[in-house]
Amino acid sequence: MIEIILILLAPFVGGLLYGFERIVRARMQNRQGPPLLQPFYDMFKLMDKQALMIHPYHTLLGILHFLTLWIVVALVICGANLLYIVFLHLFSSLLLVVAGYSVRSIYSHLGANRELLSIVAYEPLLIALSVAFFILYGSFDIEVIRENKSALLELFPLFLAFLLLLPIKLKKSPFDAAEAHQEIVGGVEIEYSGIFFEFLYMAKWLEYIFVYLLLFLFAGDSLLMASILGVIVFLGINLVDNATARVRIDHLLAIVMGIGLTLAVLNLIGLSYV
Amino acid sequence: MFKKFRKKSPWILHYNAGSCNGCDIEILACLSPKYDLERFGVINTGNPKQSDIFLVTGPVTMRSRERLVELYTQMPEPKVVIAVGSCTCTGGVFRDMYNVEDGIDRYIPVDVYIPGCAASPELIIDGVVKALDILEKKTKEREKPFRLFKDFTLKDGIVSRRESALRIGDDDAKD
Repeated sequence: MIEIILILLAPFVGGLLYGFERIVRARMQNRQGPPLLQPFYDMFKLMDKQALMIHPYHTLLGILHFLTLWIVVALVICGANLLYIVFLHLFSSLLLVVAGYSVRSIYSHLGANRELLSIVAYEPLLIALSVAFFILYGSFDIEVIRENKSALLELFPLFLAFLLLLPIKLKKSPFDAAEAHQEIVGGVEIEYSGIFFEFLYMAKWLEYIFVYLLLFLFAGDSLLMASILGVIVFLGINLVDNATARVRIDHLLAIVMGIGLTLAVLNLIGLSYV
Repeated sequence: MFKKFRKKSPWILHYNAGSCNGCDIEILACLSPKYDLERFGVINTGNPKQSDIFLVTGPVTMRSRERLVELYTQMPEPKVVIAVGSCTCTGGVFRDMYNVEDGIDRYIPVDVYIPGCAASPELIIDGVVKALDILEKKTKEREKPFRLFKDFTLKDGIVSRRESALRIGDDDAKD
């Protein structure tokens, strides 16, 4: 019962989180910032706008991206198989990439290229994460992970690699080359408008929920540790976002594949042989 | 039903139609910590398909004219256009020069004119707030770019004035 309520509320919680984050980021820059409900104001305004369609499949792929992402979040909340969730999430990202390639805008193609490259960068880390949990507990089920004690110490290198993954997924500096708002005008989301852009906007909120739910897996069954981890990572991510510039997509690949994958593989070797 | 939310989340598209960058700097100053337009929910999107307010600076040069009309037609309704700075309103110091059109209202309908060279951030904020009132009253009916000159021949509203320019030899080619 509580799971159904959580699943239904997930986009709204994500929207609140996004609004709160905009305030936090503004306060870090000594600004006042928009109101907390600003993402929802944006949402209602986008409903009111005239919607321009490029072609129906492009629009449909955007909506499907949102729906599959919601299913992913639902599966995480229900405690399903982590490996399955990772691959379904990959499918959801790929829908957006296909949507990006399906229109003729150059920026959309550039965004789709960069989105693919960033998927190449972070996907091995997610798979390594699920394999590490399998080595620890003998099961891919999130339910089992949540019943056990926190594995933060055993998985500390993987946790550091996961911190590298966070800015890519949340589209934050220094790893936001896939979206790059002023540079390639939002990448794949450029051709969406009105109510159809809103689905991508809401998918962004669901991405927040997904990433933070994955983060809470490191805390195991401890609610206190989950909240501490959440607060520290939330503030840290925003501080890094405010303090750094965007890196190029090839540097992103080099950094995340070089440092992140090395840490992840070392951790896996350590877990299986030490 | 959602009309009142238009006022709360205006997304801005900023276009430089040959400006000297003075007004652009002032617009960026509005978005920076001191004036902080983001507290009204303003985002500088850079994408015409997702924006509500079209902020234009600069007298319209010959080169930027087609892009100006193209960007305008790409924006979904309802939308408002703000002309920032004297050049954009009337042509300013560039008025009647051979390479500029005198102000953007020769091509697209303008809702708010902000004077000043360069327009001060306070004036720009006032103009944006005024534009929000207008935005709330707008309908979703399509507004079209237009042209004030007589030789309106092309259907998309983009006509080169070079055709009607004064040539050596003929006296009254230009009207």
